[in-house]
Amino acid sequence: MIEQTNLEKTSSEQISLGETISEQTISEQTISEKTISEQTWQRISPIALVYFAINVIKNLLGNFVYFIPALIAGYSHIKENPTLWLPIFLIVLALLIIGIFLSFYFFQYRLNKEHIEIRSGVFAKKHLNLPFTRIQNIKLEQPIYYRPFNTICMVLDTAGSIKQEAKIVALDIDFAEHLKAQILTSNQNQSTIKKDTATSNSQINIAEEKILNQRSLSDLIIHGLSNNRVWIFLGGLAPFFDNIARAVGNGLTSIGINTDQLFSIADKSWWQISLYALSLTFLIFLPITLFSVFGSILSFYNYTLSKMDDKYIRRSGLLTKHEVTMKLSRLQMVIRQQDWLDILLKRINLKFEQNQSTGQNFQAGAYNSKIIVPSITEKECQALINDVYPHNNLTKIKFIAISKRYLLRYLAYMLLPCYLFISTIALYNSKWLAFTWLTIVFTLIAFLIVMRWYRWGYAMDEHYIYVRKGALGVDYLCFERFKVQQTKFKQSIFLRRHQLCKIQLILASGTVNIPYMKEKSGYQLINECLYQVEKTHRSWM
Amino acid sequence: MSTNISSKNTMKATDHHNRNTDSFTNTLVNIVDLPQLQQLNFENLSAKYALTRLFTHLLMTLLIIIIAFIFQHFSLLPFPKDVHHNIFIGILILSALSLLLSIYLWFSDHHKHYALREQDLSYASGLIFKKIVTQPILRIQHIELKRGPIERKVGLASLQVFSAGGALHTFEISGLTLAIAESIRQYILQHKDMTLSKKNIVESSQSESNND
Repeated sequence: MIEQTNLEKTSSEQISLGETISEQTISEQTISEKTISEQTWQRISPIALVYFAINVIKNLLGNFVYFIPALIAGYSHIKENPTLWLPIFLIVLALLIIGIFLSFYFFQYRLNKEHIEIRSGVFAKKHLNLPFTRIQNIKLEQPIYYRPFNTICMVLDTAGSIKQEAKIVALDIDFAEHLKAQILTSNQNQSTIKKDTATSNSQINIAEEKILNQRSLSDLIIHGLSNNRVWIFLGGLAPFFDNIARAVGNGLTSIGINTDQLFSIADKSWWQISLYALSLTFLIFLPITLFSVFGSILSFYNYTLSKMDDKYIRRSGLLTKHEVTMKLSRLQMVIRQQDWLDILLKRINLKFEQNQSTGQNFQAGAYNSKIIVPSITEKECQALINDVYPHNNLTKIKFIAISKRYLLRYLAYMLLPCYLFISTIALYNSKWLAFTWLTIVFTLIAFLIVMRWYRWGYAMDEHYIYVRKGALGVDYLCFERFKVQQTKFKQSIFLRRHQLCKIQLILASGTVNIPYMKEKSGYQLINECLYQVEKTHRSWM
Repeated sequence: MSTNISSKNTMKATDHHNRNTDSFTNTLVNIVDLPQLQQLNFENLSAKYALTRLFTHLLMTLLIIIIAFIFQHFSLLPFPKDVHHNIFIGILILSALSLLLSIYLWFSDHHKHYALREQDLSYASGLIFKKIVTQPILRIQHIELKRGPIERKVGLASLQVFSAGGALHTFEISGLTLAIAESIRQYILQHKDMTLSKKNIVESSQSESNND
């Protein structure tokens, strides 16, 4: 604990340190503008020290769980021998600070003939050389402490693994924008005709950004209500769960509520119990919903989706500002998502899915790389879909339902026997309560299965494939045939007997499943997709 | 300024034109005329494959049984005698199941086929759950030939094909003879659709070597 608080102190010290250096950054900026063509190694802005420090603190907190037993075991020993332990703590702290300084010192980048090179690492040296043309995706992140210093963190994704991701920790905003424009134009040049950079640079300046969508605070509150983003908090709070629980318990006792007494239900009448249950769920759900709303505001505050030429740019974030740029050609699939609460509120989450294989980790960072438009109205949603897929018929197209054998299989062959077996045991032992519960659960699951069957459907027109799925909510997927990476046709003996099949279409953004469709249409769909891929030769990127 | 704008316009126009030429083919094609997946002529895997698999499977089962017997006989595990006995019985039952499984393996291995068309590669498998995976050559990112010690001994090879669909959907044909595997690999590498992406692969490997 001592270590942790000390570390926080040092981070604040470094903020003040960064402030004193901030005058230097301005002069450095002008230098870096000049030397962009001179191919010398550059250091990043000193504010990166804070970034590195916070990373270290995050890592320490992440591993804090492992230190707890050691701390508890040695606590009394530590307390009794401050003369021994204080110097050790100080040395560890000093080492950490030196480490932070060194990782800043060794972090260098250089621009060289449309390549970006990054050198980093204190002990394990890393040297990354990335040609502009291989950069898939440019993300800009601005944590709150970067804002006064006009710096930004630039993340460059490649088609390869996550390890190849290049991160320039702190760049001047103007320089970052300049670099971004340069990378984007070099990408464009590759795909069209080679031009000298001078003209393409001026082209970028001419092309103006058009704002497609903006989200107001009330939209975000709706989004928070209908989509639980609690996990953002849970992730951050995980090390403190025990403390929170204890604090809540103590707090309740201090205002006169004895939890032990409260939960001994033996001597209460049923209405009291149900009232307790109701208020308890309310008590649990209220903070969850509040957290969720706050989480939604945290990640989507000041949301704008804009378009520049063929690029879509998403900007949002309360504390850390994120900017994600996606070229239209990189778009794999559009997903129009509605949970049951969204249906009631008449809101839609629209997702533009990109290549997913780079972001294998499902953390907040990877989450931010896709473009999601939170809680938009139906009209706005359709306008956006029409913007990316001008020929789509999502609203008009008739979906073909999957076979009723889906119900037969899951309800009659799987769920019903289980239910009958367990309920006969319950009835035989005359456990009526258990039986009623079983029946309730059974009807619920059965209802979900029926809804899932009801929702599942597919459709095709001359440009796109559409899939509808969901249970309580509805998702609509829409994608172009030539984006398919691989196809799978699956058929069990039973399915073959009824001339049905399952198909899987694998895209770079994920897999699309259609179960229990007619064998003939399954083959037809796959044949069509393969034909489109192989005939048109269009790139999926 | 004016020249810039005009060049931009022409760029857009060509882009538009491209799109049109790309999409017009969809409507004109009669579905019956499309290459049909269901009419594929699948080829068998090497005859050695099923045999090798059966042999290694039986060998492993046998090995486990022998080890179990040794442990039982010398009571090498630090358990009471009856527990020891139960574990032994359990392992024997599992081995019996494993022998049964080998029968299933034998038949399912004979239901694995592959087909190479001009533009794509297909692999069919499954005894009860039939599955046909098709990988267009255009979407292949890279290819690997994998040969374990046993495969090397009997002259077999596995062909792994990676696409942008992710590691979960790696396309794999095992049990090809080395000559066939190598010729398929060669065919894919020399495919006209791959030549462009092959350049990229070479480029990336160069940049990777630069990293080191």
